[in-house]
Amino acid sequence: MMYLFQTTKQKFMKISLNQMFKSINKWCVGAVAVLLFSGSYNANAQGEALFKAKCGTCHQPHKNGTGPKLFEARKKWADGGAKDGSIYQWVNNWQAAAASDPYAQTVSTWAPTAMQAFPELKKEEIDAIFDWVDSQPDPAAAPAAAGGAGDGMAAAGEEVEEEGTFNWIWILLGVIFAVIIGAVSGVRRQLKSALNEGKDVEDLTYAQEFRTWAWKNKIYVGIGSLVLVICLLVSGILGLGNIGVVEDYQPSQPIEFPHEIHAGINGIDCKYCHNSVTKSKSAGLPTVNVCMNCHKQVNGRTPEQQEKIAKIYEAAGWSTEGAGGYTGKTKPIKWNKVHVLPDHVYFNHSQHVVVGGVDCKQCHGDMTKQKETARVVPVEELNKIEGNVVLTRPTLTMGWCIECHGEKSIADGPLDSKKDGYYDEIHRRLLNNDKTLYKKYLDDGKVTVKELGGWECAKCHY
Amino acid sequence: MNKIYKIVGNLSALAVTGLLVFSCTSNPDSAGLEYMPDMYRSPAIEAYVDYGEVRGVQNDAMKNTQSALTPPKYTIPFVGTDTSEVLMSLPYHRLPSSAFAQTHGLFGWDFTKNKTADFEYNEAAKDKNPLKLTAANSEAVFKKGKELYTANCQHCHGEKGDGNGPMVTSGAYAGVPNYADRASLGDGQMFYSIYYGKGAMGGHASLVSKKEIWTLVHYIRKFQNSAYGTFNADGSSAATATAAPADSTKTAAPKK
Repeated sequence: MMYLFQTTKQKFMKISLNQMFKSINKWCVGAVAVLLFSGSYNANAQGEALFKAKCGTCHQPHKNGTGPKLFEARKKWADGGAKDGSIYQWVNNWQAAAASDPYAQTVSTWAPTAMQAFPELKKEEIDAIFDWVDSQPDPAAAPAAAGGAGDGMAAAGEEVEEEGTFNWIWILLGVIFAVIIGAVSGVRRQLKSALNEGKDVEDLTYAQEFRTWAWKNKIYVGIGSLVLVICLLVSGILGLGNIGVVEDYQPSQPIEFPHEIHAGINGIDCKYCHNSVTKSKSAGLPTVNVCMNCHKQVNGRTPEQQEKIAKIYEAAGWSTEGAGGYTGKTKPIKWNKVHVLPDHVYFNHSQHVVVGGVDCKQCHGDMTKQKETARVVPVEELNKIEGNVVLTRPTLTMGWCIECHGEKSIADGPLDSKKDGYYDEIHRRLLNNDKTLYKKYLDDGKVTVKELGGWECAKCHY
Repeated sequence: MNKIYKIVGNLSALAVTGLLVFSCTSNPDSAGLEYMPDMYRSPAIEAYVDYGEVRGVQNDAMKNTQSALTPPKYTIPFVGTDTSEVLMSLPYHRLPSSAFAQTHGLFGWDFTKNKTADFEYNEAAKDKNPLKLTAANSEAVFKKGKELYTANCQHCHGEKGDGNGPMVTSGAYAGVPNYADRASLGDGQMFYSIYYGKGAMGGHASLVSKKEIWTLVHYIRKFQNSAYGTFNADGSSAATATAAPADSTKTAAPKK
């Protein structure tokens, strides 16, 4: 310890005045840097706010979009041989910069959108923006840091896998069981033939053996076969009742679309993608250009997501090279329809959603929690959702429709305070023609779909 | 010899049961048994009908062809006989620049010729909203606007139009502008941007009709100027449609 102290002391002694001055200088620079660094916390917040307000619409830190990526843009300009300060001039007024600096001239060829001018930004503010951009980590370099959305999807995948192995275990058990039965019966036959060796007894076949055994125990066999026949009949009749019932139907899809991420986490209204639901008979599947309204920018955090979104890019003819662009080579996505009604049933979405004011979840369940591909949600699950009319018949059967028509009241009739409803005309006619009928309808305090003809055959079958 | 037969017989019985067990796994893409399949498939022109199988007749050439098609070019939807409504539904007179094919996928559309990329967009500033706001219709227009906005815009632009929709707060999307910062835009420019798209935003011509876009323009103006579309007791407008953008440019000027 003593020795150490001495050496430092000696060293201090050796430092000349000039060197001392230099080191003080260094310290000063360091102090200034520290000050700047502490100041940069404020600058960072300012940079972020400015970036989001001014630049974020067209630029991203690490991805080319409408404008080029901004990560280390100052370094890029300096390396490219731009004049000092030319980048600040560019932000304020890019035309002037392009006119005076050849490097800025090359930048201005970015197509097809020309940049907006931001004359109000000061040099420090522009630096704050670039400082913030340069401090952003590249999301593509760290796909491991996936968000909650990605985790949810991975979990769903594992679940499916588990179900698969579960089935295989049963099949394997069945095979092992069959082998054991075969082996045991083989041993039994061999023992028997060994027992009968030398005696003049004919080898019985399995069928002959069974027949003699059945004849010996005819009462039990009779009762057993009666039970079996009744069981088969009952299950057959019940099975007939299941024909045309499509509850839990979940066809495979070309892209495993998670509704949870879109309608749940990202809060996209059902009517954005299923756009014709308010205008047409069918709710409509989104065309790929609707997907691309978001996916032009959103290309997935995990490899699974990126793989799925690549399929959208292929369908839309979107090339991710450079700034990205449409190539014009499109290819439709062949989705499998989930809710299929037979052709002899007429169903109109717009009538139910616009006029009836029925929420999507009444028939389709809570899609904001659907992690896998869409399916026909069984009625028991639909009943658990708050605000739904409770029904008993299987989803998408006629009993189910009819039950709801008998329960559901007309939302926008004269019973409603606004009195601007679709059914005004019918109510008016009822009031003018047969008041007793109208009174009867109002007995339970509501006018149901059934009371306005919702149970007439020709409403849906014609 | 007899023994060999038996072994072969046993083995084949095992194979048959095995096959039966395996064939029990049903096709997941089949919805199940139907009573009268010929009443299920529609021979009519409907969305998502597979014309490869109509009334039990197989037509391989038509299988998996696209049944939902876009209407022919220059088609005008029937909107009744009200002149102002019909005029609103005519094909949009402002064209996108050919760059929109690459940036917004508008292949097969008509493009401007010999004009700069932003020419028509800048020109659109002159267009006035043909859907006139009056004391009588303003409530209905804003109600409809809110409905459309909730379904089509809110997830990015936010409930208050501040660019903080659930898509942005969840971190999926960034760079959605605040409407209040874009108060100097003309009505026609808003229409142009919604119709053909702008920057990262895609075109919404396939999602909302022209009348609906003009309704949305009214609704968005309300974010920029809360007095927009309100009327005095005598029916005169408290903040006229034409005054709103002019006002906001004045208020925006000192910011610079």
